[in-house]
Amino acid sequence: MTLSLSAQNIVKRYGGVLALSDGNLDIHPGEVVALIGANGSGKSTLSKVINGVVVFDGGQLLLDGKPVTFPSPQSARNLGISTVFQELSLVPQMTVAENIWLTREPLKPYGLVDKKEIKVRTKELIALFEGCYKLPINPDYPVGSLPPDEMQLIEILKAISFNPRVLILDEATASLDSRQVQRLFELVSKWKKDGKAIVFVSHRMEEIFQIADRYSVLRNGVTVGAGMMNEITEHGLVNLMVGKDSVFSYAAKERQSEIAEKPARLVVENLQTTVLKGIDMTVREGELLGIGGLKGHGQRDLLLSIFGDIPHSGKFLFEGKQINYSHPRHAIKNGIALVPGDRSREGLLPIRSILENLMLPSWASYGFPLKMRKANLDGEAISNSLNLKMSGLDAQVNSLSGGNAQKVIIGKWLLKKPRLLLLDDPTKGVDVGTKAEFYKLLRQICENGTSIIFYSSDDEELIGLCDRILVMYEGQIRRELVAPNLTKANLVAASMGASDGSMK
Amino acid sequence: MKRTSFQHLSLRYPYLLALVLFIIAILVNLYFQTSLFEPGTINNNMRVFLPLVLLVAGEAVVILAGGIDISVGSIVSIVSALLATRVGIDGTPEKALLWFGIALLVGIVAGCFNGFFVAYLRLQPIITTYATSFLFGGMALFILPQPGGGIPASVANIYRTVMPLGLHWAFYVIPVLVLVWVLIRETRYGRYLFAVGGKAQAAYETAVPVNQVIFSTYVISGLMAALAGICIILLTGTGNPQIGEQMTLQAITSVVIGGTAMSGGVGGIAGPIMGAVTLGIIKNIISFANIDTWWQTFVNAIIIVAALAAPGVISLFRRNRS
Repeated sequence: MTLSLSAQNIVKRYGGVLALSDGNLDIHPGEVVALIGANGSGKSTLSKVINGVVVFDGGQLLLDGKPVTFPSPQSARNLGISTVFQELSLVPQMTVAENIWLTREPLKPYGLVDKKEIKVRTKELIALFEGCYKLPINPDYPVGSLPPDEMQLIEILKAISFNPRVLILDEATASLDSRQVQRLFELVSKWKKDGKAIVFVSHRMEEIFQIADRYSVLRNGVTVGAGMMNEITEHGLVNLMVGKDSVFSYAAKERQSEIAEKPARLVVENLQTTVLKGIDMTVREGELLGIGGLKGHGQRDLLLSIFGDIPHSGKFLFEGKQINYSHPRHAIKNGIALVPGDRSREGLLPIRSILENLMLPSWASYGFPLKMRKANLDGEAISNSLNLKMSGLDAQVNSLSGGNAQKVIIGKWLLKKPRLLLLDDPTKGVDVGTKAEFYKLLRQICENGTSIIFYSSDDEELIGLCDRILVMYEGQIRRELVAPNLTKANLVAASMGASDGSMK
Repeated sequence: MKRTSFQHLSLRYPYLLALVLFIIAILVNLYFQTSLFEPGTINNNMRVFLPLVLLVAGEAVVILAGGIDISVGSIVSIVSALLATRVGIDGTPEKALLWFGIALLVGIVAGCFNGFFVAYLRLQPIITTYATSFLFGGMALFILPQPGGGIPASVANIYRTVMPLGLHWAFYVIPVLVLVWVLIRETRYGRYLFAVGGKAQAAYETAVPVNQVIFSTYVISGLMAALAGICIILLTGTGNPQIGEQMTLQAITSVVIGGTAMSGGVGGIAGPIMGAVTLGIIKNIISFANIDTWWQTFVNAIIIVAALAAPGVISLFRRNRS
């Protein structure tokens, strides 16, 4: 087997921070290699070294045995290396077709872009994910008007439109639903047969075992293990990633019967928005209620309506009182908190300190001038109870890994002692080690009497964590799952709109 | 999520606001000046508007690619000062032509200067061009300390009185500008402009030569500013080292009401050109209505605020209603 690309002992510094100190990765044609590691372990940096987005400081890249350097993304691309970026490399204002073919537009004479040709070729590409779109995608739609999962699909199509030799998928499945992931995997298997080399970066164990042939594990910028997938267990991989024998185990507690006795915290009757078509539901005191279903079937609208962030109609009873919030301010004042899905954009002030982020909703209770000593003490207490890994409260939130940043968002609301916590896919892009801690934290919060409505795109964690799951489909609640029906098979079936089981 | 019809329309036709303002301005102008549509008046107006139109076309390209150039007015001033002193009232047409060429080079060099700092040294465009605007403005005053000098009347008259087929040069220049733009938009370079202005990081990761594209927009802007400077000295006949000072704000106002987003990535140059003409008409209205000229700045400011605030105000109303 010829070695098509090999990164050896790669070193990369960002300013004074060492992101990679010994990164290694071998990529062979016709093979899927999983690049695995906790957040901040250097996966993204290593993939950016391979695709030329960043220039490495030490080590070497070998292409078919010969050393190469990539001074720009252009030079890597000329060699057939293409990337699906975690943060997407799409320009929202431009159309689907313009984005896919940017820099490689088919040209007519005199250098004019051949729009017809582009349209035809875009349609061919879009057809690869036939059946995975909510609405048919027109090549002339602006990318910014598409939902996040479809943007992700366009990013994948863009990367594959190069017909690359090496394809890097950096967290490409994080915002996709299970049907889209399956389709992607079918395509990956096909590309593999065509002789493409594929680098698969993901947090989802299940996917890694399904698709990868080999693995390479990074920990703190060092490659700590590599080998064949069929020679390692999930347990073994996790151990390599976290470096200690802390396994993520979250035994679901059978407390449904106990919770059913508790008074209702929130009752929703006939909630309607542009997406939701009549939602009725109840959340009880101390309950951890899961919201499942494929992406974009109204889960986000449901959370935002309760929080008063989008226009809606319907009736809410919060602790027996009728409420109808038209602004998140009202909801916050009455003890409801939302942890948004896009943490860097909606949840945090990235360049401000951890303390400021924690205190943001609570400053009002610290007087004038602010009682900084008390704020520091409170911040210290909450970050200890969250087990926040940080250099200090005055460090920028930017400096935290994804999971720890998410804890800050939860922490800032816990300081307000909310009675209802809304979570919008909080573990997206969080590594397994932090996830396990996070689950423990959520259970603790519930045991203290706070109710949680928890939307997740990760079916495993819904099943493992929640007392009860409502599965949404096309803006309605398709099915309610309680033990003993709380199984993955039921969840998936209901998400896909299967008509068996207890239809509402 | 559904968009309100206005938002939808203004997204598809970014120059909608410019068109509405344009029509309103024409109607108001017509009320004060019934001869507005007579050929003499139209030619006369377009002759006055053309310098700003040229300036705006360059500024629009910079803003489209996510930057801003507030040194354009000073480049106009340099060109005016340079031509007034080097050509002179009694110069020959050949000399004038030579120095027009040199003036264009000066504009390009000034643009390269801006572009180098912004694209390659990664300095903030607004700070950089604010600083260079003083540099260029100072040079203009160094070359020509007070208004004076000029170009031969024979040359200026080509611009002022020669009307091919009864229409002023502006009626030929503007369609050519728009046509060139429409063609550029359909080239790779055109796509790069939109990509860099829309999301520079994404463009970089897609192997768009981001720095070169940003650099080029400032060069285009410098060139168009020099053209505007030549145009304005043809119009006035005499040099003025501060003539461009107030044109910068007018150029940016025109771009904004023309629907080219300050954030970059949306728009074009047709809307901004319409915006420039609209501003010219508003200037007319103010002089015909016997209002103090300081109102003109006031009106410009109101328009720019309204144009920037319109989308926000609309969504605010929408939210309150529901």
